[in-house]
Amino acid sequence: MRSKLTRPFLYFFSILLSVSIISSCGLGSKKDKTSEEDKIVESVSADGKVLDDFKKSKLIFYSLPSPLETAMLIKRAGATYNEELLNDLENIDKYVTNKQMALNLGVYSADLSYTSLFDQTQSSIKYMANTKKLAEGLGIMNAIDEETMKKLENNMNNRDVMMDIISETFMTSNAYLTENDRPAIAVMVLVGGWVEGLYLATRLTNGSLENNKRLIERIIYQKLSLYTVINLMEEYKSNEEIALLLDKVNELKVIFDQVKIVNTSKVEANTDEASKVTTIKADSETYISKDVFEKLLDKVEEIRTEFIS
Amino acid sequence: MLALKRVILFLSIAFFASTVSAQCFSFAKNIGKSKLGDFVHDGNYNATILSEGEKAELFKTFFEGQKYRISISKIEQLPPIHFKLVNNDGVVLFDNKDHDYSLSWDFEVKSTQMLIVEMEVLERQTEDIISGCVAVLFGVEVEKDKKK
Repeated sequence: MRSKLTRPFLYFFSILLSVSIISSCGLGSKKDKTSEEDKIVESVSADGKVLDDFKKSKLIFYSLPSPLETAMLIKRAGATYNEELLNDLENIDKYVTNKQMALNLGVYSADLSYTSLFDQTQSSIKYMANTKKLAEGLGIMNAIDEETMKKLENNMNNRDVMMDIISETFMTSNAYLTENDRPAIAVMVLVGGWVEGLYLATRLTNGSLENNKRLIERIIYQKLSLYTVINLMEEYKSNEEIALLLDKVNELKVIFDQVKIVNTSKVEANTDEASKVTTIKADSETYISKDVFEKLLDKVEEIRTEFIS
Repeated sequence: MLALKRVILFLSIAFFASTVSAQCFSFAKNIGKSKLGDFVHDGNYNATILSEGEKAELFKTFFEGQKYRISISKIEQLPPIHFKLVNNDGVVLFDNKDHDYSLSWDFEVKSTQMLIVEMEVLERQTEDIISGCVAVLFGVEVEKDKKK
């Protein structure tokens, strides 16, 4: 997900100024006549100094594990399906503010991905309907239209198609919000989805560090994803809602800070030119105490309960 | 006069970036996604306008056991994009310069790693600069036991 624009203030100021000046000169109507390609290509002459200034800028993106990727990780870890863990479909009526709708669009997207990966097709359709309602509530046009719903129903037994629909609707919502100057809302959707994925994973351990060690490993490594979550939220903390959410996520960080991930070897990469695959190897060891694990379970549940209430 | 020229350039680039950013979604959806092939798009949207010489970085956790495809798409008119995959210590794990500036590559990690995709739009040796949509999409390989 797009996150941080590290361009200088002048650049931001220029956007505002240029929109007002150039728009008033009727450039908009001229652009209408250009081809689609012209709209996405621009050439501007420049002198060296300006170019140097411009190139110093750097865009930074933080890509969180999406609800779909998280569901895949859960499934690959050998976890089972437990419908009781999902956010109740009836809860949707509670979500009336933008914050509630955004967080729970993420939550329901994660639940939708989980149901889909475990071939719970009837539940998938119900959860898709809820994500549709919340997307509409947030003003996201055409994220999930009737055609998408029909396609979903017609492909209930084709997981590949279902995953494709889920990924596309998630991208559409995210892109719509980002490109319509509502990046803070887009971040809330991502955070809601990430927290729900973490909630599902932690509950599926049944509170045991021993039952499914692979799943425990997945949870431990969310410490790395937490880094991207926090950095992403930091960029939008001028938004009051994000600032409050960031406080909650930082409470999670205090617990994750007690989880140990230690690289025990140098990282190595082997590239197979023919298959275009690079394999990256590094040994690492992880450790989480029972006490910290229980604290983590409680904190994740607390945050998730706050999101869905 | 020179100062005015600089301001106009900044304004032009900025205005362009603000007005065409919405175009990048269709570009990512229609062009970028198709380049993921059999891999399932993870659903994340990473696309923006980049200009020649401009750099971007993307932070992502790569999970052990998952096979990922990175697909970078750009408008045809933009010069090649140089991309590298590096770890937190700056160790270069992949450099597309060694592979004919390929914009699509698969990665598999044997232990979970936070990695950084570093990108730079190369420059032509001309006085004007070109800007355009660049999308970075991640695909995840689907399980073998997939239901059909």
